[in-house]
Amino acid sequence: MDDLLAEFIAETREMLEASSGEIVAWEADPADRARLDTIFRFVHTVKGNCGFFDFPRLAQLSHAAEDALSDCRGGRREPDHQLVTAVLAIIDRIAQMIDAIEAGDPFPEDSDEALIAAVNVSRETYASDGQEGVKEASSAPLHASATEQFALGQADPSEDPAATAPVRRADPAGSASSGQRTIRLPVELLDRVMSGVSDMVLARNDLAHRLRQAGNQPTIDGPFERLTTILTDVRDAITRMRMQRIETLFGVLPRLIRDLSAELGKQVMVDCDGGDVELDREMIETIRDPLTHIIRNAIDHGIEAPSARLAGGKREIGLLALAARQSGNTIAIVISDDGRGLDEDRIAEKAIATGLITAAERSAMSRDKILNLIFEPGFSTAEVVSNVSGRGVGLDVVRQNLEKVGGSIKVASAPGRGTQFTMQIPLTLSIIAGLTVEVSDQRFAIPQSYVEEIVQASAKALDLTQMGDTALITFRGNRVPCLMLADVLELQQSEAARRDPTLVMLRLASGDLFALAVDRIHNHGDLVVKPLAPAVMKCGIYAGSTLLDDGQPVLLLDIANIAAAHDLVSEARTRVLQPMDETAAVQELPQAMLFTDFTGRRSAVRLELVQRIETAPVSAIDHSGPRPRVVIDGLILPLIGLPEAQLTAPKNNGRVRLLRLSDGAGDLLYAVREVEDAVELSSPLRPVPEDPLAEAVTLINGAPVTLIDAHALFAMHGEVPVAASRPRCCLPDDEWAHTILAPLVTSAGYEVVAEDTADPATIAIVFDEVFEVAEALGRAPAGPVIRLRDHPDTAADASTIYRYDREALLAALAHAARTLPVSPLHAGARA
Amino acid sequence: MNGHLLVIAQIAGRRCAFSALDVKSVIDLGAITPIPRAPAHITGITALRSQALTVIDCRLAIGFTGQTWPTDERAAVVADSGHSYALLVDGIEDITTAVGDPGQVPGGFGPEWSRVATGMIETMIGPALLIGLPALLAGPEAMRGEIEAAL
Repeated sequence: MDDLLAEFIAETREMLEASSGEIVAWEADPADRARLDTIFRFVHTVKGNCGFFDFPRLAQLSHAAEDALSDCRGGRREPDHQLVTAVLAIIDRIAQMIDAIEAGDPFPEDSDEALIAAVNVSRETYASDGQEGVKEASSAPLHASATEQFALGQADPSEDPAATAPVRRADPAGSASSGQRTIRLPVELLDRVMSGVSDMVLARNDLAHRLRQAGNQPTIDGPFERLTTILTDVRDAITRMRMQRIETLFGVLPRLIRDLSAELGKQVMVDCDGGDVELDREMIETIRDPLTHIIRNAIDHGIEAPSARLAGGKREIGLLALAARQSGNTIAIVISDDGRGLDEDRIAEKAIATGLITAAERSAMSRDKILNLIFEPGFSTAEVVSNVSGRGVGLDVVRQNLEKVGGSIKVASAPGRGTQFTMQIPLTLSIIAGLTVEVSDQRFAIPQSYVEEIVQASAKALDLTQMGDTALITFRGNRVPCLMLADVLELQQSEAARRDPTLVMLRLASGDLFALAVDRIHNHGDLVVKPLAPAVMKCGIYAGSTLLDDGQPVLLLDIANIAAAHDLVSEARTRVLQPMDETAAVQELPQAMLFTDFTGRRSAVRLELVQRIETAPVSAIDHSGPRPRVVIDGLILPLIGLPEAQLTAPKNNGRVRLLRLSDGAGDLLYAVREVEDAVELSSPLRPVPEDPLAEAVTLINGAPVTLIDAHALFAMHGEVPVAASRPRCCLPDDEWAHTILAPLVTSAGYEVVAEDTADPATIAIVFDEVFEVAEALGRAPAGPVIRLRDHPDTAADASTIYRYDREALLAALAHAARTLPVSPLHAGARA
Repeated sequence: MNGHLLVIAQIAGRRCAFSALDVKSVIDLGAITPIPRAPAHITGITALRSQALTVIDCRLAIGFTGQTWPTDERAAVVADSGHSYALLVDGIEDITTAVGDPGQVPGGFGPEWSRVATGMIETMIGPALLIGLPALLAGPEAMRGEIEAAL
């Protein structure tokens, strides 16, 4: 609680400081409407805040000032000098009390009655319209707990004097009870440290580059490696310093909701989702108040009393759902309730009454537009002004605060079903996962969260067609709109790139899917997104910029905006209040990768086998061995599926597409003419016994497709897993054999086994003299025997091999292995 | 303005002055990443250490299109409402002090210059046109917008 109290003090002080200028200016010109609004918001916020702490005097004071100012705003009262003085006196008193709270002193003795009387002095004369409904002293909060009282008395002995500085809390995460020490820091200082670390990383990269050029220097490389590790650590820590899970914000809400609902006699259940979304610390501070305002409104105006809910056929407990989602470059926070919803007609009436719109304008406005009038300054629909949500000042402040940081808010509502507020907050200085793509030799970044899949195929395979000005592709049997990034950006693109695009399938927050055609994909990684200048943002294409590891700036595409500009977004769906059991189990069908091989046959191979789709230049195929091979990622892999004739004039710029299949132990490559798509094997599989390489024939989209028999394929062509078929060999049991002979035998492809497990299929390597003894005793090894001798003299028996005669030894092993009977054990393992 | 430090630059062949308080530094421009579909006067973005700067071609921002101007590849770094910009000019000349306050000249400076110039200012090395940053950064489109609004 100490934490919240300290927050309250810091915030009130900040506002006092900020509004002190306004107060002076208002005194000079009481008719100044903008100043009046600012001061009104200040007292309103103070009133709202002290409702959560037990400060009845503060609440009374601010409530009185608020009422008086509200009358001024509503034109029911002229702001005369007397009123200004009275309001200023109240604000001064509030400042004194805040000081007292912070110091832990008792409040000043003087009575507040005189101050309150002073603002109310001429009120009766003006109050003519239903203001009787205002409950003057209803401000005492009902749920102030003993701890709060205690906290009030104790008010933060742990806080240092720095708390008086107008800075935000640096670490609200530390819970009040934990012993973790926290300090407050100005955000600018954090910013400076952060950009300093970024600079250090760039300097390090530069240094690394120079070191590589200079060649290996062990004396420098060691410390440099250490520097790199430290820097990575520091960078992580700094990043974490700025980022905070939105959880810390959600964490305080259940209590707030409980107190509010109890106070209002309502029953509310809260459901928070997406607490792990990370947000810039400063951003969290910015949305704290707007969020509180909206929640208060939802409970006060949105959710009905239990009896009304039951009468309306709803559960008596209202549901308030909070969800945070990172969608690309923004965080969306959705606050939805299942209350009575917004009343379009009442809002319109009110807007007309307050002069926001005219009756003529009203008839031309859509429901959506009318609902969003609630964010206009000075708007309120609450008939009875309550202590909780007030007069609608909340929502215009909410919008103002969000717009200040480049965010937005909108509302959607269904009568009787509920209301849904959606806050969009930009990710300034957030770190997002991004994909770097290239088009026309320029790189751009795409937020990873949009990327559904990357498809690499020729325009023909994707059935790329132009429908009017729109391009469509066929993806998993669906027609999907396709945008050419080069066209979106009005860049020149080479014909080759256009014919053979790489498609990034993007899924928008609304659920719509579209394809973005780029030249190639680079890599993905964490990007630190920085805001762009307003003139650049106005293009509506970019959401920010980021620096690649080499320090090159890259623009982050605003996918949502690009899609919207090309009308690819369907009407927003109300998804949040949908029941959660949407994820009904869909029976998983086996999937296969569809392709056309070089004989022109359409085939498929089970998707689980496909490790990757590789693209290799034809020149990389090595034909020197008995079967062609390709080196990929430093591995020599067997290649099958090539046509009989040489690939003379290949289509894809001298490149060939290869399916990399894996059986878990070994890989092989299957050359294909064209990769089509991953498909589901929904039709029955019909075996074809006459084709040994086909598992079955099946129908895909009405056309017959041969499903490759992976078992036969790997049996015939796979790099036979070495472990399963190694001939076994037992060695003499001495030091020399262990350290010198064993590695040679193993590397030649034999498995070294212990002597007691030897069977007739085991080659025995023994020293000649040992063998002679064993033979004499009738205990000669059952399998083939290679006898070693200690001396290189050739005069000796040809049936023995000198122990360092490598060639002879390997030849003898190979000869022995050929004569081996196939052991039943091994046959079993191969089946 | 008397005694104020000014950064003197050549823009479109004219001598112009920026208040040294606005100019954070003068940098050598490295690689510039172009921004497709951005207004013409925005050349692109460039990296200054870990910071991304928006590069504004002052010649185009004032409205001198259809002509290529030389540049010494140096740019003045300025900040406006939280964003940093690199101002691409013909060349950065000098830093000097102002003598007196900015004033107008009979006949004006011409429509393009009048939009961005605060006035003529006498300096230690002669008169120069004092440039106002917001108008310069807004680019030539801003003026057209105003004219359209007025019509």
